[in-house]
Amino acid sequence: MPTEVVMTSKAVDRFVTRLIEEGPVMGPRERRKQPGFAKFDWIESADELMLQYTTTTVPPKKAFFPPRQPLFEFELTVPPKITPLEEATPFTLVGVHTCDLAGLNMLDDAYAKEPAEAVWPAARARARIIGVDCMPDEYCFCFDTCAGREGCDLFFTPIEHGYLVEVITEAGEDMLRLSDVSRAREDDLNDARNFAAEKGQRITAGIRSSAGDFADILEEGTFEDLWREIAERCYSCGSCNTTCPTCFCFDINDEFDLGLTAGRRVRTWDSCQLQEFALVAGGHNFRRIRWQRVRHRWHRKFLYLYREFDHPYCTGCGRCSRACTADINIVDVSNEIIERARGSEQS
Amino acid sequence: MARESAIPRFGHKPQVAFFDFACCEGCQLSVLQLEERLLEILEHVDVVTWREAMTEQSSEYDIAFCEGSITTEEDVERIKDIRAEAAVLVTLGSCASTSCHNELKNQWSMDEVLDVVYGDDAGQIHTIASRPISAVVEVDYQTFGCPVSLPEFVKVVSAILTGQSYEPPNEPVCVECKRNDYLCVYEKGEVCLGPVTRCGCDAICTGWGDACQGCRGLMDSANIGAMLKALTREEAHSIMRTVIDRHQLTEGEIAAKLRIYNNWPEFTLEEAETDDD
Amino acid sequence: MSETGHLDHPEDITAFYQPVMARVITKQRLTEMMVLLRLQLDSAEPLDHNPGEFLQISLPGYGEAPISFCSSPTQTKSFELCVAAVGNLSEAMHDLRPGDFLGVRGPYGHGFPIEEMRDRDILCVAGGIGLAPLRSLIKYVADRRPEFERMVLVYGARMPDEQLFKDDLDVWDAREDFETLYTVDEPDDQWTGRTGVVTEPLREEVQINPERTTAVVVGPPVMYRFVAAELLEKGMSEENILFSLERRFKCGMGKCGHCQLNDLYVCQDGPVFRYTDLIGRSEAIEVWAPEDERE
Repeated sequence: MPTEVVMTSKAVDRFVTRLIEEGPVMGPRERRKQPGFAKFDWIESADELMLQYTTTTVPPKKAFFPPRQPLFEFELTVPPKITPLEEATPFTLVGVHTCDLAGLNMLDDAYAKEPAEAVWPAARARARIIGVDCMPDEYCFCFDTCAGREGCDLFFTPIEHGYLVEVITEAGEDMLRLSDVSRAREDDLNDARNFAAEKGQRITAGIRSSAGDFADILEEGTFEDLWREIAERCYSCGSCNTTCPTCFCFDINDEFDLGLTAGRRVRTWDSCQLQEFALVAGGHNFRRIRWQRVRHRWHRKFLYLYREFDHPYCTGCGRCSRACTADINIVDVSNEIIERARGSEQS
Repeated sequence: MARESAIPRFGHKPQVAFFDFACCEGCQLSVLQLEERLLEILEHVDVVTWREAMTEQSSEYDIAFCEGSITTEEDVERIKDIRAEAAVLVTLGSCASTSCHNELKNQWSMDEVLDVVYGDDAGQIHTIASRPISAVVEVDYQTFGCPVSLPEFVKVVSAILTGQSYEPPNEPVCVECKRNDYLCVYEKGEVCLGPVTRCGCDAICTGWGDACQGCRGLMDSANIGAMLKALTREEAHSIMRTVIDRHQLTEGEIAAKLRIYNNWPEFTLEEAETDDD
Repeated sequence: MSETGHLDHPEDITAFYQPVMARVITKQRLTEMMVLLRLQLDSAEPLDHNPGEFLQISLPGYGEAPISFCSSPTQTKSFELCVAAVGNLSEAMHDLRPGDFLGVRGPYGHGFPIEEMRDRDILCVAGGIGLAPLRSLIKYVADRRPEFERMVLVYGARMPDEQLFKDDLDVWDAREDFETLYTVDEPDDQWTGRTGVVTEPLREEVQINPERTTAVVVGPPVMYRFVAAELLEKGMSEENILFSLERRFKCGMGKCGHCQLNDLYVCQDGPVFRYTDLIGRSEAIEVWAPEDERE
């Protein structure tokens, strides 16, 4: 089997139909009430899949860590009975952009760090992933994540008559038995190269510093004036976190069924921007002031987790800037920090 | 725990009464719409007074669900009586918890209000500025929404019956909107009060494609200054550029939007425009 | 600090956030706000904790929260937790009776560096309910007394009625090889002991050899920086001053983000820290006044 094959658009439809026959498939589906916008959702037929889409509101991490995830059910027997909610069905996640593949890989690292939690990897082990290349929107700045293939089994690049399919893993090769593919010709490879080149050209936004330099800048400077300026505009609504493919903070709460003898423990996506995130006993809050939370977001993504995992926890997907109804743009703010740091160096 | 059900708090099956003050009584109607879930709740309590659902009445009860705002001197006396009887007093929906849009009348003097509404027949009505129930008596549990948010109502019922307190969430609607993976209203070019409004409604309006009108009231740390800046900035990226250009809201118009559900005690930009806390 | 490695087994259900059940053996009311629960795992296995580590405790339906051990690992058949009634979970825990069950997950965190503290003088400074986590260390030292040199305990409570572990306090006070200094801020008519905040007896009555001493401080956030100042005044170096911090851990595994203190996860890197580790970190409210309260 060659590592690159071609699947025509019609063949993709048949392929997706067969995937759905094999098991559940999640992928970008056009929003029913808002045409043109996609969301990751369970796909029931191949025509629901919207393979060429601009960034979704919520990233595909929701396939593995849903925003509301029951951890187990309980019954108030003696002793209380705990029933794990073990989901065992394998599924396929289709249509993941390169930035989101990078996000999934980062979450793998975060959850695997000792002491490792088991919920995320258990969900990951159930899934095959098909990546797809995309054209950036005006909020994208996917720097070094934009050409990545790690984390998927097959990778699709749009070409004139369908997709060039790169086989990344054995699981990916195995999936191809469900499809009709042809050998990639030179024209097809050229098409794909052109697509990648055009994508590269269209990405104009970017953080004007290396990740390492940016971490140093954040560590060495204070930038309190800037954080305060940003905080005046920040709602602390948490949308930058709840749309982020690399954010992994959560809350855990119990809920009773109305019978009041049983219920479940649920973990939900949380956000360090919310005012009560850092509340501790006695009413102390070590990031009570809005600007401290704004600073924490930049420090966590570009300094703390950079030092911990050797890359910033940002994929350049632009979701946080797009979701920010205060229009606080991650690229603009980062570049403002860099500019102020360099300005103060010179003066 | 050795118990097979939640902690018994009342020593007997608690008796529940529903009361209404100035409101449309839509919150009671919403509770009736819980249907099967209401039947599950009724396994744990006896409803003894509920004008909208039954004819019997009782002057003895443990838990009082009170809907509506306090807008007359008679209301003040009646809610004090209810407070004296009820072990647990719950405000049902925004009229009771924030005074909702009843407080729009507070923009005028009470004499003007009486004159406009009742003219020469105003004599017997002792109207006062509309206020939430918590402005008159101590409240144990609050639920918000116009009508009341049913997920919150269910949570509060469960908390009461298992002896737990319930703190209304101090987070904006955006949190629940994103957890539900709804498309942001601003992406559609519209203005939404979600970023400053207390969540707990499970973002029901944005889920149906509407903008949040703020019916649950401002969250504690709502950044009104941020909203004024966001909707009037000169430099903006494409989504917010579209919203700003399309609506061209003035500060006064933004304040008017916010005032609809937040005029108790009195909504002014000067009071609201804090950058924190 | 010591390696715990409690998640060696991939099948460990706590990696799925599931508690195992422990049974309440005895329950003792210590003060109006505090009860002491003695517990035993349903499996009867020891938890094998180190002093200073904590458990995630839960009651199904009432939630989960971190609580430090207040018993020593030298007590192997059971373990003890001291619970303050401050919320839905802890108030429900106050209603537990012997024979009832609660869920536990852990132990988590890095506790006191026992190996390093051997053959040294131990100076414990506790404020209020901070005595609870310190008790695990004090009882450990008491049980292995020859392995340590001096043992000094300075304990401040707000009022005599709020003193925790009165029986233990008396036992420790009576020991020849313990030096104890108890104080209260607001004495009542019966109180005959010291009055004033914990830093006063520490400053005036405690002489130490700073080279040989490890100080351990646990109390309300505002206490730490004042105690640290006294200890530095006595010539101690920052690295021999240990603080145990309290944060609202949701996972205990460095994942949920709630306890992040600058770049540290209090649940994993702590909860016991050296003063040295906290000085450079702006979010250590125990060391620095919160940023908004500074001049």
